Amino acid sequence: MSSLPIKASDSSPIIKSGSHLSRASSVIAFARREFRDAISSRWFLLYTVAFTVLAVAVSFMSLAGSGSHGFAGFGRTTAGLLNLIMLVVPLMALIAGAGSIAGERERGTLLYLLAQPISRTELLLGKYIGLAIALCCSMCVGFGLSAGVLAWRVGGVGISAFVMLVVFTCGLALAMLSVGILLSVISRRSGVATGLGLFVWLILVFLSDLGLMAGTILFKLRVQEVFVIGVMNPLQAFKMAVIVNMNASLDVLGPVGMYASQTFGGALPWILALVIGVWTIVPLVIALILFSKRGSV
Amino acid sequence: MNITQVIAALCVSFGILWDAQAQESSKSIDEIVRLIESAESGSTIIVPPGVYGGNLRIEKSIVLDGQGGVTIDGLGKGTVVELGVGDITLRGLTIRGSGSTVDQEPAGIRAFAGPVIIEHNRIEDVYFGIDLRPAPGSIIRYNVIQGKELGLGRRGDGVRLWWSDDCIIVDNKVDAVRDMVFWYSENLSIARNHVTNSRYGLHFMYSHGTTLEDNELVANSVGVYLMYSNEIHLIKNSIVNNRGTSGYGIGLKDCDAITIEHNALLANRVGIYVDNSPSSVDSYGLIVENKIAFNEIGMLATPITHDNIVSRNAFVENEEQVTVHGRGQLLLNEFSADGVGNFWSSYSGFDRDGDGIGEFPHAPRSLFRSLLAREPNLRIFLHSPAQQAVELTARAFPDLSPEPIFVDAFPLTRPPELDLFVGTQGGGRFPMVGFSAGLLVISVFGGWVVGRQSRLPMVSDSDLSQKAFL
Repeated sequence: MSSLPIKASDSSPIIKSGSHLSRASSVIAFARREFRDAISSRWFLLYTVAFTVLAVAVSFMSLAGSGSHGFAGFGRTTAGLLNLIMLVVPLMALIAGAGSIAGERERGTLLYLLAQPISRTELLLGKYIGLAIALCCSMCVGFGLSAGVLAWRVGGVGISAFVMLVVFTCGLALAMLSVGILLSVISRRSGVATGLGLFVWLILVFLSDLGLMAGTILFKLRVQEVFVIGVMNPLQAFKMAVIVNMNASLDVLGPVGMYASQTFGGALPWILALVIGVWTIVPLVIALILFSKRGSV
Repeated sequence: MNITQVIAALCVSFGILWDAQAQESSKSIDEIVRLIESAESGSTIIVPPGVYGGNLRIEKSIVLDGQGGVTIDGLGKGTVVELGVGDITLRGLTIRGSGSTVDQEPAGIRAFAGPVIIEHNRIEDVYFGIDLRPAPGSIIRYNVIQGKELGLGRRGDGVRLWWSDDCIIVDNKVDAVRDMVFWYSENLSIARNHVTNSRYGLHFMYSHGTTLEDNELVANSVGVYLMYSNEIHLIKNSIVNNRGTSGYGIGLKDCDAITIEHNALLANRVGIYVDNSPSSVDSYGLIVENKIAFNEIGMLATPITHDNIVSRNAFVENEEQVTVHGRGQLLLNEFSADGVGNFWSSYSGFDRDGDGIGEFPHAPRSLFRSLLAREPNLRIFLHSPAQQAVELTARAFPDLSPEPIFVDAFPLTRPPELDLFVGTQGGGRFPMVGFSAGLLVISVFGGWVVGRQSRLPMVSDSDLSQKAFL
């Protein structure tokens, strides 16, 4: 086959070494490979099935008492779904991310991948995008069926809030995936990465909130302090974002929620989205820097 | 004559024409005044269709019938229609454009004597809607009242009664006002009104002895707020989605002998809020056979609250079923009557002998709740796994369990059959079906597009490396 001339402007040593492909297409190729790997992984399928079954069950159960009249089924369903999402989605994304690089490294396939004519950055980005699409698709199945239950039982109440629930859940998954990939980059072994992922999950889901609860009681933290410390946790930011989209205010979350609503008003959803965005971008950038600097595989 | 002058002349003549056209559709209020002057007292005046601009004061007992084609426009000044004597009927009019200065309290219709009948009118862009002060024995029915677009705190009342006993207020549709408020007015009949997007749907101040039936109160700050009003009977109202910052479905403030039955209290911030009611020593409150569901808090009461009988209600899936405003317990209230309690969706007992009543009392102990009473800031952790963890801890270590807030000794294990008026709720089914299908299509189709086996571009020049790569 013919070989195309190498662009002089291309500075990547790997690409210079013989490839004629653009960076984007190699990222896409890796993303596709990662996606296929993910959806054929048993763990991933298990999480997807678990999330879907639980989401549908929560939708059914929270509407069980509502009878034929379709009021506000969404609010209850969301309240039920929130707990489920905050437990399952971070776990799913952290574990998926943690397994990505460390798994390849342990199996020895990472060397093989790096032998391909692409940069380390592209490899990691490709993996991230592939896993991100896989996660979002997996959650769309759960949400789609859950929305189907709502449509069947109560009609289209609160559809815009449900759309935002899906969007923010995908955002949460992307953030947790970033953290997972960072853990994967710094771990030599897959087991270590997964263990770290579980530990981070435990911290974000339970320990930080419980710690802040204790702190609030012991040190009589003021509302500003509780809000600022609380919102640093991407799970709390996610929860507040969903509730603020549903109720247009955070007053259901008591004094701290009222403080947030009154202080930030219409900017609050954006601030919360920003928190999730920072949790997505910062770990991913650190992972990219570390991964491209590390000599060892 | 140069071109500029021609254009100017054209503009002027066009302007005159335009003005004449406008005047044709807008008549002066004096025409109605003349009609009333020439009419006998007690007669019916059919007003010719048209838009009449100006303020009208009626001092003769007549029937003014617009038959749906008459608009009286106050042109943004003062009260649009004032009724100076009793026995006036206003029917089939559109009344709009009152002033909006707070100190004058301009209204769409203000009656200074009763009884008057105000029916089948459309009242819009007004500061107050219908103001009776006083006009006892009046009837207000089948009106549509739409307030001015002002902030919640700056609006006037949709309907206000002032020292007006024995009024009948039925079948009105009220939107975007402050309250429908009843001051010092006794023995009213208030039914089938529909109040939306307002502050308090129905607001009672020192008004005793009234029945509220089949009203629909949706998306207000508070559905029904009774203050210092005794012997009120709330029956079969639909009170949904009232979620103001301190919003309640029904609020009771120092009210004696209140009966609340067969109401649907759904998706409010708080279903029923009881603040020191009953306040007299020998009085009682009756809360029976209501459906209290999907609220953030089903029933909230101040710690001092006593002598309420709460039975045969269905408490379904409220985030908190019953709780105290602050710390304390509600043990001075009965949560069962004659050996029958309430249905609690959160009840975890069972019914062994099949009589429909659980074998264990329902005495909920929530550690998170009791922490909330100590430190309200913790409410930020609501709806999170950490909250569940706290509750689980309390269950694992009973020593940590707080005292129950209330005890229902005879909880029902099945929801009671309730005779309710739930009203019209629910959105279109189609968008949700579409959304559901869309998500599923995205996941399947997206998965197919991304994941299908294809010749990978990066290895398209070498079958060998493709095999190796895969």
